[in-house]
Amino acid sequence: MRHAPRAVPGPAAQPLASFCSHCGHPPGASGVSPTRVCAECGLGLLLQSEPAMAPAADAAFLVVDHSLAVCGLSRAAEELLGVEETLAVNRHLTDFLMPADAEARGGNLLALVVAAASDGGPARFAVVRPAGEFGVRFRVRIGRCGPAPAALLVVA
Amino acid sequence: MRTLKTSEAAAMLQVSPNTLRAWERRFGYPAPRRTTGRHRLYTEGEVATLRDALQEGLSISSAISRAREGLSSDDQFLIGALSAFELERADIAMEGAIALRSVERAVEEVLLPALDELAERNGTDSAPWAFAARWADGWLRRAQRLAPPPSRPAKVLIGDATRDELDPDGLALRALELFCLRAGARVVSLPVRGVSGIADVVGAYDPDAVVIVGAHVGDDDVARWAYRVRSAAGPLPLSLFRRGSRTVGVRAAQHRTLPDAPYAAQSALMAIIEEPRDSLADLSAFGEAPAAADRRRIGA
Repeated sequence: MRHAPRAVPGPAAQPLASFCSHCGHPPGASGVSPTRVCAECGLGLLLQSEPAMAPAADAAFLVVDHSLAVCGLSRAAEELLGVEETLAVNRHLTDFLMPADAEARGGNLLALVVAAASDGGPARFAVVRPAGEFGVRFRVRIGRCGPAPAALLVVA
Repeated sequence: MRTLKTSEAAAMLQVSPNTLRAWERRFGYPAPRRTTGRHRLYTEGEVATLRDALQEGLSISSAISRAREGLSSDDQFLIGALSAFELERADIAMEGAIALRSVERAVEEVLLPALDELAERNGTDSAPWAFAARWADGWLRRAQRLAPPPSRPAKVLIGDATRDELDPDGLALRALELFCLRAGARVVSLPVRGVSGIADVVGAYDPDAVVIVGAHVGDDDVARWAYRVRSAAGPLPLSLFRRGSRTVGVRAAQHRTLPDAPYAAQSALMAIIEEPRDSLADLSAFGEAPAAADRRRIGA
């Protein structure tokens, strides 16, 4: 007897988590407005990512596009890096964060960010330091966010 | 070009008016004009551009950056058209600019920066500059003819001390004339070299303020012209616009220097006209003959 192929249900698609690009808070009970402006702070746009990648409220994180240009900086990241988002946007990621993992290959951080912005995949980790500073290191979680494809770097 | 009140702009972006004001403070965008009652007025095109940029933005800053890029491409389009000597395309560039902004902002953010760029590239004694400057002068004059009729009791007399229509300050003068007309004032411009019969003109026109524009004509000629104006019209507030370091031979306290940007200059000029007259720097500095003023200057 020959079995005919048939469609089977795939793994249940996990709902994406939403968070504000400025304060990191999830949308309130009113949900996501069509213009995606955060109802909590009014200074950020609501982004989406895998739930495991989403930053906690008030976390420090950066949003970077595939050309490694900074597209957003959370309020906590502004304080951490000492730069306002308005001055950081469109500048290269390495103006603010440098790879600091001695055992990683030179371009590891940038390769991870480009890969995350381009094709997503599971969360990856890297060790970085603020540009121009030594002795301070952060562990960052790198994943994908959107709607326009971009990499999300959450400072752990 | 349609303008929106704060509540209308906020509704278009689906945010609260407070959020819109917070964006203005933090990002400087959208940048509203103010009515005479200090209420904000947004240009519909600017708000619509931002609304579209927010759809794909990754943060408010990046969306605003994209919206600004979209608006700034107009001056590059105009530079390209004038560099290629294509007048129709230059007109189209300005039509596109006006669709997104007020006339004042289109002139200040597109026309004048494009002309500045061309002046820097070619020099102001070149044929390409002459071509672009003549087009810009014509465009500003056409816009003046479309200005609404006078709506406020303000008459401005401009003393034209620019070289000619190819002087970059001459374009700023045309822009200042246009903005004053659009603000509801009456404007008459006269060359400062022509003093013959000036009393008849000034007596009939009865100005509320005098502005000297341009740095090409020397102090002595300007002082002679201003003296004749004062003799005919009495003390009047005197302002200098794009006069550089020249002072027409009076002390700094006796005149106001207007900002270099034409719209800011027009706003300052209207505020001067509406101030109580006894607090003003005025043309009484020219109550003595230019020769006496010259002696005092030399003595100082």
